[in-house]
Amino acid sequence: MTQEFKLAIQRRGETGSTSSRKLRGEGKAPGVLYGHGGEPTNVAFDARAFDDLLHRGARTALVTLTLDGKSDTALIREIQRDPVTRRVVHADLQRVSAHESVHARLPIATVGVALGVREFGGVMDVMIHELEVEGPADRLPDRIEIDVSALGIHEHVTAGQAPLPPGFKMLTPADTIVVSIESSKTAHSLEESAAAATTEQAVPEVIGAKPAEGAPE
Amino acid sequence: MLTPKRVKWRKVHRGRMSGRALRGSTLTFGEFGLQALEPCWMSNRQIEAARIAMTRHIKRGGKVWIKIFPDKSVTKKPAEVRMGAGKGNPEFWVAVVRPGRVLFELSGVAPDVAKEALRLAASKLPIGTKIVSREEAQA
Repeated sequence: MTQEFKLAIQRRGETGSTSSRKLRGEGKAPGVLYGHGGEPTNVAFDARAFDDLLHRGARTALVTLTLDGKSDTALIREIQRDPVTRRVVHADLQRVSAHESVHARLPIATVGVALGVREFGGVMDVMIHELEVEGPADRLPDRIEIDVSALGIHEHVTAGQAPLPPGFKMLTPADTIVVSIESSKTAHSLEESAAAATTEQAVPEVIGAKPAEGAPE
Repeated sequence: MLTPKRVKWRKVHRGRMSGRALRGSTLTFGEFGLQALEPCWMSNRQIEAARIAMTRHIKRGGKVWIKIFPDKSVTKKPAEVRMGAGKGNPEFWVAVVRPGRVLFELSGVAPDVAKEALRLAASKLPIGTKIVSREEAQA
């Protein structure tokens, strides 16, 4: 949180897939900067510098952008990545001021080993991996830590029980289950599937098909 | 084995496998996953073999999600039959997999156990895959 993140961005004249592909070939990534009532600006930035920022934890932090000699603070709102190479394809940047209240989706991190897992061989199931919160942009934590060490089998933690830093409000409905401990079914399902395993393929029913007279199918 | 319960048509066109996975390319449930790097028709036998390899390795605990479903029938003509006279009979079911598709997800086990289970599952599949984790996806 105390770290300062800086990114130099340039204005991008051409839009569309051809020019964006060309930019990516030059080691840059296209993006858009919007917010605070200003016109959305198509921008480009160095892809490697952007990746470096993300690795240092800028995903939920304020980033100082420099464009045409002026600096602006922004949040990284959305990142599109190539599903195979994980390369950044496009990023959305939203202008925000330091003390402005913003909505953000923060990842969840569980702390400790649940009692139900430790003692009774249960499985911890993280139902949702992000919580939506509202709070000051300059104090957004990089994750929300939930202590699960006291949870037994069939017990759960809801969004309302997740600890938030002061000044933050939970937007995810309070009764949403975030983490639950269930009994393990892996060994049981394996035995079940071994018993039911057949080499024959079941023939599915054809919707709307007339039953054939005397024919097996 | 995974097969559809009901279908609208018994035989379908072959289709194309070009491009990358437009959906299902991110981890949604588990902590670790197996992602396809090549396109293929993955049969229900291959999916089942991978699932068994995974669940045998993790023994107790853990949860496995299969994120593909074989909903496409593949037809074959019987041996020693001349060409023509219509399309063959449905023989097996496949899932159309494009690069980037997350095939399986796993959670509730130690990272080293999860990675080994996914490696064993990958060895049952006809394509190159890579192991992805939520930690690196969030970075």
